[in-house]
Amino acid sequence: MIDQEQMYERYKRLLAEYMEGKNEETLYNGQLFSRHMIECGVSPEDVLSVHIEIMREFFPNMDERLESSFDFLLEAMIGYGLAYREHQNLRFKQRQLETEIDIAANVQQSLLVSAVPEIDSLDIGVISKPAKKMSGDYYHFVRDEQNFLSIAIADVIGKGIPAAMCMSMIKYAMDSEPEQRTKPSAVLENLNRVVEQNVDPSMFITMFYGLYNEKEHRLYYASAGHEPGFFYSSQKDRFEELTAKGRVLGLDRSTKYREYEKLIMPGDMIVLLSDGVTECRTKKGFIERGEVVDLIRKRMDRSAQEIVDSVYKELERLQEFQLRDDFTLIILKRRV
Amino acid sequence: MNLNILQGKAKDGGELLILKGELDAYTAPKLKETLLELVDIEGASVTLDLSDTNYMDSTGIGVIIAAYKKVCKNNGTLIVQGLTPRVERLFDITGLSDIITIEDINKEETR
Amino acid sequence: MMMKNAPSRVEIHNEWDIVRARQSGRDYAKELGFGNVDQARIATAISELARNIYLYAKPGVITIEVIDDQGKKGLAITAKDDGPGINDLRQAMEDGYTTSGGLGAGLPGVKRLMDEFDILSEAGKGTKITARKYLR
Ligand SMILES: Nc1ncnc2c1ncn2[C@@H]1O[C@H](COP(=O)(O)OP(=O)(O)OP(=O)(O)O)[C@@H](O)[C@H]1O
Ligand SMILES: [Mg+2]
Repeated sequence: MIDQEQMYERYKRLLAEYMEGKNEETLYNGQLFSRHMIECGVSPEDVLSVHIEIMREFFPNMDERLESSFDFLLEAMIGYGLAYREHQNLRFKQRQLETEIDIAANVQQSLLVSAVPEIDSLDIGVISKPAKKMSGDYYHFVRDEQNFLSIAIADVIGKGIPAAMCMSMIKYAMDSEPEQRTKPSAVLENLNRVVEQNVDPSMFITMFYGLYNEKEHRLYYASAGHEPGFFYSSQKDRFEELTAKGRVLGLDRSTKYREYEKLIMPGDMIVLLSDGVTECRTKKGFIERGEVVDLIRKRMDRSAQEIVDSVYKELERLQEFQLRDDFTLIILKRRV
Repeated sequence: MNLNILQGKAKDGGELLILKGELDAYTAPKLKETLLELVDIEGASVTLDLSDTNYMDSTGIGVIIAAYKKVCKNNGTLIVQGLTPRVERLFDITGLSDIITIEDINKEETR
Repeated sequence: MMMKNAPSRVEIHNEWDIVRARQSGRDYAKELGFGNVDQARIATAISELARNIYLYAKPGVITIEVIDDQGKKGLAITAKDDGPGINDLRQAMEDGYTTSGGLGAGLPGVKRLMDEFDILSEAGKGTKITARKYLR
């Protein structure tokens, strides 16, 4: 709190000094003083009232009309004072809200972060970054005793808090799947029913679900409208689209999902992504899927984690460090 | 980032909405309001013209899905026309193209 | 000058009455010895309360009276009406909620302008708002 008396005296001194010399230095000191007053929560009308009092003191014979003009100004400043105080309070509330969101985001992170399993035959890299504080992207890895690895990547429509809340629902639905190793098509069909029943009609979720047999090196997979990933064949030295057709989750209750299968040879790569990767908007327009492939190809000799980290950095830079959408990129590389 | 929604009559006598601009998280609520009201009648017939929609993201798809679900309940029809290649791909990936009628660009004259 | 001990009562039917209520509040405040800024604050608070009556619950009454709480002198303003009442008081008292949102006026503004603020309201029965400001 600022001492009323002290404020009065200091303002008076500065004002007198300025009226004498009109110099810039006094104005600068006035600026510093006003900062101090703002910090102490002094309202504009209080400053004005001090000013008026001092003027009366300086000019006891002030024209009456001039004097009443000050009163009029004072009245007008009351409203500004209120707006100013409301602003301060709203700023405080905003900070509170942000803290709350930060906490929620941490909770979500701990819910969603799925440890990347250590597997002899596969080199796995993952990066997942929310556009705002909370993410609508989801991924998980689960490995069972029979050496089957299940991989899921999902994207809830929209971003931010609503998407994140929906995401948590999916996580619990996934966790309560009857057994870990189910057919990908069956997993999607189950989830589709959960989403269809529980979610707003304009909300939907896309998901890619894969099951990797570590002994036979086969990937069984199905997709519910998810942005297609890529398959890199080391033998052909070529990237191709990892096509899988299927409706998004939540569209139609009775949807059946087709299951696909792929043999993965040493050196082959599976790239899974959310549309935040391909919907990158740069100054030159949207990034083409081919450009994403090029970015990966340039870094292909590095570890999977290094590739995803470095591709993310590059795309982040191209978008001038503003993600428009949640970003998730997963790479699985069969070790040679 | 802006979306203009022009309303007119389609050739088949139903309602026509022409969407000009970008359909994303910020503009989708505007379409949602207009479109969901139009399809909320028994036997509603609505055509969406997307030939001037130069950007659409998943939020836009969400609105179309919501409208589709309503149309199914009301025994109506929802037709989408004039898909740009980018939007067409989005319809293909999400599986919307198997269930929503998509017509080629035979642009109506709105008068 | 004779001290205004009797409370002043202003009925609010039209916008003109808002001005009368303000004026009366300012006169009382001046006489009690409130400074210029506080006079303006009290007048603004009365204005807001009277305007709410005029907009949402007319007719109503604004009462202004001098209080003496064990030597603590001040002014009490009461706004009372038999209008529709305020359903969600918490919401009405929230910053940024008022129709003028962002101007800081309205009920939260009145609370800030005065030292004490109390509101009683029942749906369908009316609203009674009391606000006090003390001399420092
Ligand atoms: N006396 C009253 N009787 C019934 N409702 C009231 C009364 N006073 C206020 N309200 C309700 O409470 C709400 C909030 O009032 P408040 O004065 O804070 O804001 P406002 O009148 O909406 O906008 P402004 O900031 O311009 O005053 C009003 O919108 C109105 O619905
Ligand atoms: Mg009001």
